Amino acid sequence: MEVEAFITVLLSASLRASIPMLLAALGEAYNEKGGILNLGIEGMMLGGAFSGFAVALITGSVFLGFMTGVAVGAISGLIFAYLSVTLKLDQIITGIGFTILMVGLTGFLYRYFYGRNFPTLGVSKKTLAIPFLSKIPVIGPVLFDQHVVVYLTLLLIPLLHWILFHTTFGLNIRAVGETPGAADAAGVNVAQIRYLVAVFAGAMAGLGGAFLSLGNLSLFVPGETQGIGYIAIAMAMLGKWSPYRVFIGAWLFGMVESLAVGLQIIAVPVQPEFILMLPYVGVIVAMVFLARNARLPAKLMLPYERGER
Amino acid sequence: MKTQLRINQPDLKGEGTGSPSNQEALVQMRGITKRFPGVVANDGIDLDLYPGEIHSLLGENGAGKTTLLNILSGIHQPDEGTISVRNEVVHFKSPHDALEHGIGTVYQHFALVPNLSVAENVILGLNTAWILDLKGAERRIQRTMEKFGLTIDPHLQVQYLSLGQQQRVEIVKVLFRKPKILLLDEPTSVLTPSEVGELFRMVKQLRAEGVGVVFITHKLHEVLELSDRITILRNGQRIGAVTPEELANQTHEEISNHIVQLMFGGVPEEETEGTYAPRVSEEIVLTLEGITILDSQGVAAVRNLSLELRAGEILGIAGVGGSGQKELLEAIAGQLPVAQGNIRLGERLGEIDLTNKGVPFAMKMGIAYITDDRIGEGIITDLSVAENSVIRRIDKRPMSRWMLLRWQAIFDFANSLIGAFDIKVPSPQILAGTLSGGNIQKLLLARELSADPTVLMCNQPTHGLDVKTAQFVWKTLREQASMGAAILLISSDLDELLKLSNRVGVMYNGELLEVLSIEAADRETVGRLMLGERS
Repeated sequence: MEVEAFITVLLSASLRASIPMLLAALGEAYNEKGGILNLGIEGMMLGGAFSGFAVALITGSVFLGFMTGVAVGAISGLIFAYLSVTLKLDQIITGIGFTILMVGLTGFLYRYFYGRNFPTLGVSKKTLAIPFLSKIPVIGPVLFDQHVVVYLTLLLIPLLHWILFHTTFGLNIRAVGETPGAADAAGVNVAQIRYLVAVFAGAMAGLGGAFLSLGNLSLFVPGETQGIGYIAIAMAMLGKWSPYRVFIGAWLFGMVESLAVGLQIIAVPVQPEFILMLPYVGVIVAMVFLARNARLPAKLMLPYERGER
Repeated sequence: MKTQLRINQPDLKGEGTGSPSNQEALVQMRGITKRFPGVVANDGIDLDLYPGEIHSLLGENGAGKTTLLNILSGIHQPDEGTISVRNEVVHFKSPHDALEHGIGTVYQHFALVPNLSVAENVILGLNTAWILDLKGAERRIQRTMEKFGLTIDPHLQVQYLSLGQQQRVEIVKVLFRKPKILLLDEPTSVLTPSEVGELFRMVKQLRAEGVGVVFITHKLHEVLELSDRITILRNGQRIGAVTPEELANQTHEEISNHIVQLMFGGVPEEETEGTYAPRVSEEIVLTLEGITILDSQGVAAVRNLSLELRAGEILGIAGVGGSGQKELLEAIAGQLPVAQGNIRLGERLGEIDLTNKGVPFAMKMGIAYITDDRIGEGIITDLSVAENSVIRRIDKRPMSRWMLLRWQAIFDFANSLIGAFDIKVPSPQILAGTLSGGNIQKLLLARELSADPTVLMCNQPTHGLDVKTAQFVWKTLREQASMGAAILLISSDLDELLKLSNRVGVMYNGELLEVLSIEAADRETVGRLMLGERS
């Protein structure tokens, strides 16, 4: 019985912990399939986390907070698309610049507005148990007694997979990242597709960030994302841009993270910093073994210029 | 009104192009001009295409054929001129617009997505329904292929197909959209003879169905076999045409003479400036024996080629671009591996085997290669002129000692080259990438000649240069030859080749068809060989 409880808590907590990164990684998978590498994901998550938190605090509506997070992410994605698709700027520099800007901006705004009293959102019951289903042992609490955003994410995974591989829109995305010239010659609007995936990736990062400050923690702290935006980029590649594989990768990451916390609680005598490091080490190890044969989309990070080869 | 006029006057000929009296043109291009930085690719070109005809475009490399075709397919937008499709003036902003008007294009460099299946490639961009119906698409693709007698498994990923099969996918992709106008840019260059037969059969079937076809090729016999009308371009201008009447009434030989004359003839010989007496010695410096070079796809770019190069001679290699000339030079320079045969240097002093020994060894043995890709391969744009000038000898004294650069020696050396070759540069410290094309070429010449090469290879040495610089390059090459260097010269400028060379070899499709003495090499003879017509 104790083992069952342990497993239930581990799975449930790790799923929940993985959601911010999973959302960002799902968006980034689409982005990269379409030929855009957005290293600004980390910053866009922070933007979503801060703006979502601030709006929820002001209006008292968590829903509005989430909406704001998504909107801020989408606008960031739009700006990123303008810089990288229309102006054809270097995506690496643009992305890193975006992240640095957002780290500074959200940190500054937080200190300016909330630096004296460190407000938190009232703790409310955050999960929405689905009748009957949530009573199934293990699976029930893990899958059917979660935050609404967790349900939304779980529904998004098959939907995103279906769009990418079973719709003409998805075909366009896959073609545009690989050989934009061929897509253009076939009549696909390359810039339009790239704008759409960039905005989508931004919105997903914003939602992921908002879940961090509104769903997981109920508060914002500067640098709240702790690099998981970057992990999301790695996870999109590790999952070879398949939403299902990205999901599995993200959940495993969440599990290592939850285990680390668990080990601390049961007072295993190791440094907490060492334990907190483990999920990141895990990603590096996974990259070494799994991502070696991952073939990046051929025109990732390259702006499209018609008539060039 | 226009149509009316044509019916009343069936003999009316637009710019020498015969116009079928009772048919409305599918495409009318008028005064098409397209400029790229530094070149006028198309200069006021007119082109007509009628239903049910195959209209061939002929011309040397850089004559503007592909540019014209890319304008019609929506890749480029013309700077001047108008395009009408079925008497409606159109402005294509993208390939999508051209596709909407029933124009299907098979590009010279394929436009396929390698990691998608054949079926996915075929329906890409159609966007007929939101849901991807691959099963239905595969059935319809099968039907299209059956109609034209083509076979290919629609499930296969394109990256695992041969070039000929990829070509077939391109064609299926175009046919699937039922085009009224079909543009083919050098479709036969990657095909085997039987595949060419299949392609021609299909093109003729489309013609019978009333499709208008624009066909670009370099092969004269293909043009004669297929065409209903021929337009010849030269230096971006339309310089002549062969009408359907002429094609019907003249023999192939008469027509081919006419075409060769238009493409290559009629240029007055320029007088050779100064006295230049070639002193070709008997000493064979470089021997190539049956070499075969494969390109990245594993296709032979050069086939079983043998050649002897003597000290003091300039051997020019003519050929339509992509006939294997570049690969030949790169293999001698050690950049490309040789699959078969061998390359040997010297005779009297004991032979040295150069085959597959790599670039540093070839350089050490006195091989110098001046690439046609001056900016990409010739210089390092972000290094200074001085650094570029010593790049071959940077690891040797006096340029460096104990791995430390000796700037005084480097600058002295650079200044001596700048002076000797009259390179226009304010200081050797300036970045090489900021130089003009002519000065970059001078820098490359200076650098390679400073190594005192036994064999000097030049690829397009005066391409894009002004006349004065070009003359400087010619003078330098002649001087080198008279001092005993053996020079292997590739140029798409036939006049240049004929002016400089002592012998002229012609490559076609990876083979060295013939090596002519300069007396036997006139424009028509060389031009005919370049098009694959053996005399």
